[in-house]
Amino acid sequence: MVRRGLIREILVLLCLALLPALGQAFYFRDRISWRKPARQDEITVSQARSLTGTVMWLDARPDGEFAAGHIPGAKLLNAEHWDGLLPEVLNAWTPGQKVIVYCSKQSCDASHEVARRLREEANLKNVFVLEGGWEAWQESAK
Amino acid sequence: MIDFAIWAGRLLRLIIGVTFVYAGVVKALSPIRFTSDIHNYRLLPWSMAVALAFYLPWLEIWCGLALLLGRLYRAAIALLVGLTLIFIVVSASARIRGIDISCGCFGHLSNNLSFGRHLGLNIILLVALIALWSSKHLRRTVPA
Repeated sequence: MVRRGLIREILVLLCLALLPALGQAFYFRDRISWRKPARQDEITVSQARSLTGTVMWLDARPDGEFAAGHIPGAKLLNAEHWDGLLPEVLNAWTPGQKVIVYCSKQSCDASHEVARRLREEANLKNVFVLEGGWEAWQESAK
Repeated sequence: MIDFAIWAGRLLRLIIGVTFVYAGVVKALSPIRFTSDIHNYRLLPWSMAVALAFYLPWLEIWCGLALLLGRLYRAAIALLVGLTLIFIVVSASARIRGIDISCGCFGHLSNNLSFGRHLGLNIILLVALIALWSSKHLRRTVPA
């Protein structure tokens, strides 16, 4: 009898937690993807921070967002001004240097596009994409 | 002596309750980060990590509140014991597999804690929860 009461109370708590969780999932529906892309090139903020050696950070967001704030030392490289920005990036890059590209958040795709073009058009190796983008970086710095 | 045990129980409930409410609130405020933290253990698919990132913080908050308020008390302890045990097991599993990650248990504060300290903290919480569950004197601190 006691055990049945305990199970009922556990179910009550489990259901109580479900309600705000569903609300929050609805609120964040546009900010987080439920489908993890089958991408092996993503790197988390903590992994990126632990990388040894110098890393080149590339910001794939629009110019205005870059100007408003970016990862220290990051260079701008977005699709809008690709041809104009790429030479400067390649001049600053040293052979063997790891490159991490980021965009605004988890659901954006600009960073993956820039990473793909860097591999295919500039033949760069060791190009990674920051999981969660600028948003994840800011959260980790709080 | 019994009075002391009752007050110790109240203090223990307060500390554990506040700890879990705090841990839940910190994670509920950053579900994206917590999703990455869960996924970094490499045990669950991404969609499951997202679901847990939305759900687990609220479960911790409700269980912590239940401890503080003395309502659904034993159910809250049972759930928190389960959660803490699961965390200890998956942390140890990550460690054995050579994955060096932040557990994400207390948001960004977790980054400053080593694996050993995380484990120690969770073992202390587990022992305290079991003490609350099993001691008849500590149970007397719960309002009827």
